Amino acid sequence: MSKITTADFQKGMFIEFKSEPHQIVEFQHVNPGKGSAFVRTKVKSLKTGHVQEFTYKSGESAEQLDINTREMQYLYKEVEKYVFMDNESYEQFTVLAQVLGHYADFLKENEIYQLLVYGEDVIGVRFPKKVRLKVIETEDAVKGNTVSGATKEAKLETGVMIQVPLFIKVGDVVGVDPELAEYVDRVNQ
Amino acid sequence: MNTWQKLKQQPKLFKRYFVREQIFAAIREFFAKKQTHEVEVPLLAPSLPAESYLEVFETTLLDRHRHPKRAFLTTSPEMFLKKLLVAGIGSCFSLTKSFRNTEGESNTHNPEFTILEWYEVGKDYKDVMKTTEELVCYIYDKLFSSSVARSDHNRHTELVSASKKSSHIRSNSKLILNYQNQVIDLTPPWERISMTEAFAKYARIDLEKLLDLKSLQTVVRKKGYQVGEGETWEELFHQIYLNEVVPQFSKNRPTIIFDYPVQLAALAAKPKASDPRFVERFEVYIGGIELADCCTELTQVDEQQKRFQKELTLRKKLGKKDYPVDWEFIEALKLGLPSCAGIALGVDRLVMLMTNVSRIQDTLFFPSEEMWQGLS
Repeated sequence: MSKITTADFQKGMFIEFKSEPHQIVEFQHVNPGKGSAFVRTKVKSLKTGHVQEFTYKSGESAEQLDINTREMQYLYKEVEKYVFMDNESYEQFTVLAQVLGHYADFLKENEIYQLLVYGEDVIGVRFPKKVRLKVIETEDAVKGNTVSGATKEAKLETGVMIQVPLFIKVGDVVGVDPELAEYVDRVNQ
Repeated sequence: MNTWQKLKQQPKLFKRYFVREQIFAAIREFFAKKQTHEVEVPLLAPSLPAESYLEVFETTLLDRHRHPKRAFLTTSPEMFLKKLLVAGIGSCFSLTKSFRNTEGESNTHNPEFTILEWYEVGKDYKDVMKTTEELVCYIYDKLFSSSVARSDHNRHTELVSASKKSSHIRSNSKLILNYQNQVIDLTPPWERISMTEAFAKYARIDLEKLLDLKSLQTVVRKKGYQVGEGETWEELFHQIYLNEVVPQFSKNRPTIIFDYPVQLAALAAKPKASDPRFVERFEVYIGGIELADCCTELTQVDEQQKRFQKELTLRKKLGKKDYPVDWEFIEALKLGLPSCAGIALGVDRLVMLMTNVSRIQDTLFFPSEEMWQGLS
């Protein structure tokens, strides 16, 4: 662990709170009635998912957790769980759906992802800003519909549905922002 | 996309932003009815009140020979209004901008914000509690007085009285505000709880026994908080206050928390005659938002001078920007400040409450955060 202060706080950072691993969900500057500065922080327990609030003195210290980033290959999905393998150690990791959140919708089998590991547990995933996925289902564009910005639904190879522009066809590979679950561009093959 | 661009795309969003001008109009009308003068105060000043924790904006004033003079954006209208009180203006108010630096990364702060400050001559903080209730209800009534707007805003109540135009608060109707999934009853009287009562009720400790640094340190440590070296009584107090007391204030009614320990007298709160360990100060919380801060004003020059010095020493210790202090204010006090109570109310936060938004930025056409976004 390494010592940090509230000045180093960032959304998504992993810290120890009441001797348990937590993630910072958000933080806010407060200063009560012209008094000294405080930082109201929302932290989420990595063990229980429970979110609580704590107000730190501005400049108060906290312990940042040592998180390892490990590259792992996504193998397959079980019920509410996802199985990854570290290709160097051949160790397998089972990751709960809640850890991946909606990023799970964009996982492609056999692709390599960067997983955040704390001790023995995967506690998060560092997804790329853009993922490339093939369109497997979408309606053909209706001729004459030239309304700019018009969209239609498309099913991607991972099974997730997103909105795409009308010119996208089955078989196209599209770039998607996994954070917003939004179409970014068509990727030329 | 910036706010003005969003407004171009969705003109119906304008409605929410226009609530601000209705609130401004209501405030002015309210004080006009009370024959309270409105004072326009400078935003640029050569000196500021001595306040330990506020960080300030500095700029430079040039004369025609381009000789530089230090100039500061004002942190509150307090010094100006008090000088006019000495001059004999009587009860007065200012609805103006104030500036405080380093208060970013917050849903309830904007570096420049709109402050309503008023003083009631011959009154004390208990009177101002009543005026505050009256004012907020007056504004509520102005905003939601048409039966349509009211029932729209009050899905949870049966209120809606027959007369539509009457601007006073009807005794048979409740003033219900829906704010961020909380149903808040603004009907006076609001909940009043003293600091000592609140600490006993919510943090289960006897504040009166913790008025010295050592006792408070022990309790704060026992509760599991960090106690750093050189930490002041005020900092330790706020650890408990912010973590254990404030979060437990009623979600469904405004809270007036009053009688602060003398350590939190700030610049000008007057000690209680019955117990000088506490001062006549209160704050108002509505829906978790700290809305206003009031005190019965200190009129004794020597005590005021001491507090100025104390604040300055603390400022130095904290390494805050050094600035010239408004000593003319002390001179003014020597001529006699009439007994009065004054309050500062965050108007942007009131707009947040009345428009049901959780971010101060969403009440402003041009929030600072947006203007400076992406600039290093």
